[in-house]
Amino acid sequence: MSTPETNLSGADVAPVTAGPVNAVAHRSAVQTMIVLIRREFWEHRALWMAPLVIAVLLVVCAFPVHMGPIAHVNAEEGFWSSDSNRRALFALMQWGLTVPQYIVMAIVLNFYLLDCLYVERKDRSILFWKSMPVSDAATVASKLLTALVVVPLGVYLLTVVTNLLFSAIWVARTSWGAGGVPMWDTVVWLKVEALMLYGVIVSMFWYAPLAAYLILVSAWARRSVFLWATLPPVFAILVERLAFGTRYVTGLIEYRTVGIWHAVDLEHSIEHTMTQGHNHIVSLTGVFDKLDVSLPFLNIDLWLGLAVAAGFVFAAARIRRYRDDT
Amino acid sequence: MNAAMTAVIEARGLKKSYGATSAVDSVSFAIQPGRIVGLIGPNGAGKTTLFKAILGLTQFDGDLRVLGRDPRSERNELMQDVCFIADVAVLPRWLRVSQALDFVEGVHPRFDRSRATDFLQKTDIKLASRVRELSKGMVTQLHLALILAIDARLLVLDEPTLGLDLLFRRQFYDTLLNDYFDKQRTIVLTTHQVEEIENLLTDVIFINRGHVVLDSSVDALSDRYVQLTVSSEHAVRARELKPFYEREVFGRVAMFFEGQTAAELGKLANGLGEMRTPSVADLFVAKMQRGVS
Repeated sequence: MSTPETNLSGADVAPVTAGPVNAVAHRSAVQTMIVLIRREFWEHRALWMAPLVIAVLLVVCAFPVHMGPIAHVNAEEGFWSSDSNRRALFALMQWGLTVPQYIVMAIVLNFYLLDCLYVERKDRSILFWKSMPVSDAATVASKLLTALVVVPLGVYLLTVVTNLLFSAIWVARTSWGAGGVPMWDTVVWLKVEALMLYGVIVSMFWYAPLAAYLILVSAWARRSVFLWATLPPVFAILVERLAFGTRYVTGLIEYRTVGIWHAVDLEHSIEHTMTQGHNHIVSLTGVFDKLDVSLPFLNIDLWLGLAVAAGFVFAAARIRRYRDDT
Repeated sequence: MNAAMTAVIEARGLKKSYGATSAVDSVSFAIQPGRIVGLIGPNGAGKTTLFKAILGLTQFDGDLRVLGRDPRSERNELMQDVCFIADVAVLPRWLRVSQALDFVEGVHPRFDRSRATDFLQKTDIKLASRVRELSKGMVTQLHLALILAIDARLLVLDEPTLGLDLLFRRQFYDTLLNDYFDKQRTIVLTTHQVEEIENLLTDVIFINRGHVVLDSSVDALSDRYVQLTVSSEHAVRARELKPFYEREVFGRVAMFFEGQTAAELGKLANGLGEMRTPSVADLFVAKMQRGVS
């Protein structure tokens, strides 16, 4: 083994200067956050791969989809000859196409949130991440931002592209004589996309406490994160039902998952549906026209939820900061 | 006061217990800049606890200053100037080499990417490889490349060469000395493979059962410790000089004396046997066998 040529162990150790501080490039909080969020996509590739795969599958489906239903639709001259009904169908298809993408996104995000602070402890890579000058708060925030903002907006853009491609293929097919109703209406399209974007933004706020809860479990549980996330609510429901015969927990969970859509007052809008005879169809443009954008934001529960989410995130960062069982 | 101001690490009455077991019990020491300090102790001695306390990875009682900061409350600032390798094999398996470079470059203001890539070019590591595709030695090389390209004032290494073969271990320490160490930096490393690092250490701190058993510069060891090796017929006479530890080696007896120089002992033990300064490894064994002093 080589020893340094200089007299390291001697008494002539140089006095401490300010340290080996060269001109240090500054890293702003925003730059760091971007790097941290990129890191999430490196590690959790399902975040971008799963929505992309679904999008590709949907676009591919535009080719071989049997035109039967449309032909059938065509046959019912009376109903579908109405322009407004055809527009409503176009809007509904546009919406329907996004459903699988959002469902897959929700599943992927749930698993992501449960994993994000757990896997780094399991594989002990936390000891590497913590050797970097990145605060625990910034790390936890990067994961929450990824799940609540970056992925939802990314998937939204993906649904827009998917829709455009799907529609383009469909319009091309129908106009080349595959039968069916050529469907494209720019105004309807814009209204539905605006409605979806609005839904995504409301979701970001409304689901923040749910996401923060999953992050907290991820930071806290020693093992079986999935069970730790699901069993306590189930347990609480059962205990409440058996002990008091009430269903407040069930109600709360329902409210925190789907309740916001009542606040948007969709039912009210959906009353304005196209009906003719036995057929009826929801008009999404009608929903858009009737929409009161401010409603969910006037709901105090949305802001209370955000406060709870902030508490969960704070707790998760504290746990990550001080636990030392790796 | 001057020492307190310039010490890179200063601990006073540092305590940490897990439940009823005390991992570190009232430990005090100071580490000066420009030193390479070996924190040496058997398994369970409290090395890792000390290591975690220095890096703000665990809570503790007592006073600890690292580069003048409290690692409990100023960890984020501290990590700008302190680097550590907690263990080999903590790089996540999914990480690509290029991503590792991107990440550290993105978050660490003192990271010099070209330094890291220069180092990697001397190895067989490819930028597109994932950590899971690399051998254990290569993962350590990668980790070292990342850490050594950071212009930090304090580098803390916990068992950095555990599980590596001799070739990699040599290379590791050579790189550390030749490419990294200078008098403005301080390196603290824990290991129980004492023999391999004793030539590069300037200071040693022995720790056993949560206590500091020895804290000395390597040069000063010769002022305090002597090893006298005698043949067995002289053993009885030599024993009268009160060694604190002895052991038999190939029919001869090695005795360890504390608190005197070879010259002082030589006057008493004239002609009994050979005298020399014990190696760090031998001294470690002697100190540990005797237990807490």
